[in-house]
Amino acid sequence: MVTYIVRRLVTAVLILLGASFLVYLLTAASGDPLAELRANPSPNKTQLIQQRTELLHLNVPAPLRYFIWLKGAAGCLIPFANSCDLGTNLQGQPVTEQLGLAMVQTLSLVTVATLLAILIGVTLGIITALRQYSALDYGVTFMAFLFFSLPIFWAAVLLKEYGAIGFNNFLRDAVVPIPVTIVLALVFGLIAMAVSTGAWKRRWMVFGITAAATAIILQLLSVTGWFTNPGLGIVVIAITAVGVAFGITTLSAGLKNKKALYSALITAGIGVVLYFPIQPLLAAATPLMIVLLAIAAIAVGIAVGYFMGGYDRGQNIRSAALTAFLVGALIMADRFMQSWPEYFNNSKIRGRPIPTIGASTPNFDGDFWTSSLDRMTHLLLPTIALILISIASYTRYSRGSMLEIMNMDFIRTARAKGLSERTVVMRHAFRNALIPLATIVAFDIGGLIGGAVITERVFSFSGMGSMFAQGLLSVDPNPVMGFFVVVGITALVFNLLADLVYSALDPRVKVKS
Amino acid sequence: MRFARISKAVGVAAVAALALSACASTTGGNSSTSSAGGQAGGSATVVEVNGFSSFNTNTANGNSDINSKIDYATHSGFNYIDNKLNVVKNEKFGKYEKISDNPLTVKYTINDGVKWSDGAPVTANDLILQWATFSGFYNDSKLNDKGDIASGTTYFQYAGDTSGLGLTEFPEIGDNGQSVTLKYSKPFADWEIAFGSLVDIPSHVMATKSGFKDADALTAFLKALPKGNPEAPVTASPELQKVADLWNAGFDTKTMPTDPALALSNGAFMVKSMDPEQSMTLVKNPDYNWGPAASLDSITVRYISDPAAQIAALKNGEADIIAPQASADTVSQLKALESQGVTVEQDAQLAYDHLDLNFSGVFADANVREAFMKATPRQDILDKIIKPLDDKAKVLDSQIFIPAQAGYENSAKNNGSSAFDKVDIDGAKKLLNGATPTVRIMYNKDNPNRADAYTLIAASATKAGFNIVDGGLGKSDWSKALGNGTYDATIFGWTSPGVGVSSVPQLFKSGAESNFSGFSNPDADKLMEELIVTTDKSKQDEINTKIDKLIWDSKYGAPLFQSVGVDAYSDKITGVKYMPNQTGVWWNFWEWSAK
Repeated sequence: MVTYIVRRLVTAVLILLGASFLVYLLTAASGDPLAELRANPSPNKTQLIQQRTELLHLNVPAPLRYFIWLKGAAGCLIPFANSCDLGTNLQGQPVTEQLGLAMVQTLSLVTVATLLAILIGVTLGIITALRQYSALDYGVTFMAFLFFSLPIFWAAVLLKEYGAIGFNNFLRDAVVPIPVTIVLALVFGLIAMAVSTGAWKRRWMVFGITAAATAIILQLLSVTGWFTNPGLGIVVIAITAVGVAFGITTLSAGLKNKKALYSALITAGIGVVLYFPIQPLLAAATPLMIVLLAIAAIAVGIAVGYFMGGYDRGQNIRSAALTAFLVGALIMADRFMQSWPEYFNNSKIRGRPIPTIGASTPNFDGDFWTSSLDRMTHLLLPTIALILISIASYTRYSRGSMLEIMNMDFIRTARAKGLSERTVVMRHAFRNALIPLATIVAFDIGGLIGGAVITERVFSFSGMGSMFAQGLLSVDPNPVMGFFVVVGITALVFNLLADLVYSALDPRVKVKS
Repeated sequence: MRFARISKAVGVAAVAALALSACASTTGGNSSTSSAGGQAGGSATVVEVNGFSSFNTNTANGNSDINSKIDYATHSGFNYIDNKLNVVKNEKFGKYEKISDNPLTVKYTINDGVKWSDGAPVTANDLILQWATFSGFYNDSKLNDKGDIASGTTYFQYAGDTSGLGLTEFPEIGDNGQSVTLKYSKPFADWEIAFGSLVDIPSHVMATKSGFKDADALTAFLKALPKGNPEAPVTASPELQKVADLWNAGFDTKTMPTDPALALSNGAFMVKSMDPEQSMTLVKNPDYNWGPAASLDSITVRYISDPAAQIAALKNGEADIIAPQASADTVSQLKALESQGVTVEQDAQLAYDHLDLNFSGVFADANVREAFMKATPRQDILDKIIKPLDDKAKVLDSQIFIPAQAGYENSAKNNGSSAFDKVDIDGAKKLLNGATPTVRIMYNKDNPNRADAYTLIAASATKAGFNIVDGGLGKSDWSKALGNGTYDATIFGWTSPGVGVSSVPQLFKSGAESNFSGFSNPDADKLMEELIVTTDKSKQDEINTKIDKLIWDSKYGAPLFQSVGVDAYSDKITGVKYMPNQTGVWWNFWEWSAK
């Protein structure tokens, strides 16, 4: 095992050296950093050319210049020596500093998107696998491929036009017109119909009920001015919390396990009861407090599950803890909605809350809730854009892997020995289906830091992607190399991790030392 | 037992609640200070392409468009340039007057009451520091053939031209340290814009940060230091090197400096906050009364590189003023916003494309050059490339002036360019007299405008009997090929400085560095020698008009068109005016006001 890791690390270093040399040469050959100065009529042209030549060591041939860069970069390997020198960009800013700023921007942009894409993608994949060849399966497959093949710059522009500009215009006078209501009702009805099973008569009924409900809710919301003054209120929270308790129990323990169901319901009840008492505390929230509250909620769930007793406390605890977490999230969402009017009317927002660019409103000055809302509204569109294109691969992979598992002998054995379908799916199939996904997820998390060149540019995030693109455009090798070093190292490390994780998850695979 | 459990649980919960309230935010859910930006003066959001990177825009590293714009908004000086490219004096800041023409002597006096945002007055010390950095007085470096410094030291990495102020000796300080007098060893045409336009680096900060007692001590030190002599380099002065290091790199930052002294203002606005690569915020300088008074209270600058994203931000109300790179797409998208109250302005920029013919090879014969110019479809090129962006655009008719300058009209009328207004294939054929010269045209293939211009010229010239060879090179190679003799004609662009004449000899004097086509005319040379020592604006225009005519008469080639700039602003803002030079819309930021 150790020899295996060492061997992999040694190869990784060699790969990095070779690849960085190639990238350096390619970047150096991609253009002439002096072009703009050569076509400059100012009298001090020579002086400017000399200054830039000196800055970028242009009088040294590119293959040798690489070693100048490598010498500085090698300093990064000495810990605590502060000798890390990845060069400077054309503005004289150290690349190390530039990388720090860019990484923060990139991570803030892509982390949530990647996590959501994994969550939604895997869920959809599993569901479609369980309903293979159903309308839902075809529908999801179609949508997945459609979004996958959308060029992101185009999708992003559409999102801006309708998701931001159009939606903000709508908010000026937040009434959903009748035609839009009808269309939305039909869409939701169709989705519900696709998800539902059974005879056609029943499915048409589902369609009708969902469509009618959607239409009524939309009109109600628009009449009551909900869009400008949103909120859930204790009643909606209570109903949803009960629903969550049932849903979570169904998945984690099965409704037959009364102890688990009651634990979940009690937790939900505690959450609803706490709704009013906790409001003053929430009004003074800080990020740390929210984390502590989340931990406290889970702890309450665990306690309730534990004290409920029964033959399988683990199931109680899981159901109750998950319910507690989700009910907590519900109360949070409600609190965010309470802050919405204040955010909406802020002078910096000017009643147009969904922005098209950047990570936050400059000089936005608000409490925890409004400033979090500000960050969320900024991340909304880029996150949707990123999810739309990356969801496809997760859906397809998890669907395929789930289908393969569901046809295996041990699933048939599990069914034959009388296990409920829930246990078969959740315990036996689902876990095994996730093993091959571990590799892909590890890769994608490694790729996170590389950023998203186009999304960053369209939404004006100056992350790693735009640092790379900008460096390449201005034939500035140092930022490109800085980018490459970071991305290359993470890719290699996560590649190694993926292999190790795989062998840990799947005992059939052994790393050969 | 059960009771004990419950009470324990309650106890734990109580402790937890206490712990949670302990970490509550102290500001305690107060509503945001929502009216902060919405007072009388109001605010505006301006979009820029690049991120701010330095408070010293005079260095080679810091000399970027955005740094200069912020520098302009946060500092003041003796003059500024308006959008008609005139130098406008700011007498509230101080006075400068030409005391004598020969030797050229200029006296700069700063008014009392002009001060930095830390309260220190702006004095002659600040001007001396600027002189020391802009003149290259102390440099004794010599370059070798490869462009490396062979001997001596270059202290200040000044991005501008040191040759003008290099003609002066250490300035004389007077009026209780409020004035300096510069004496030039020979007249210098661009004296007015070479010094004092913006006084942007505070001497007292430089002094204390590089180990001097105060600004006076720094000035005394500079005064005692001898002029550098490249022929006899001496060991670098460690004290001056320290000052230079601070000047060269100490002001480079992407975040608000922890030491506010590095971000001092003496202009209408002060930098309040910076968010690296995202935005920066300027607020009004409360003390400022030594220049045009600004109407806005604050200006937010946001960096957006993508033109389409800039337009979407304007449309969504996130930006008030944008100036995206002009393209047919950008312009049509902006025009579509006019119904929403957006005002769009397009006009010519200082950059212009031109066709240059070598004075050697096939073009050694003036008749062949003239024939080629006659066959060049200048109007067609304009119609195809520029008209879609700006339907008022006209063909550029001068090698020296641009239409925004006062001297253009007169010069364009008389320089003989009218002979080449229309394509004259027959005239060209007559001049060629049956010959079919082979012409290799070099241009940047990766620039669509240049490639289009090439295609049109090649098609037209072929009709006249020329044998055109496509010598287009990729973007990384074309500029290296300039002047290396591998082509006969070239299409590329220059940027007119707008103000000042120093670049004229740079382009057209015999053997000058940027004279790639080998143009040489003794009369023009003589005129250019006169030009660079002429300090009077109207006389400069007169000489330039003569040079322009000489260039056209020698069939140098033809200017084609100016590139188009565009800016747009929302109906929340008034007072924005188009500006062709690098300052862009910022040139009259004090006139911007919020509705």
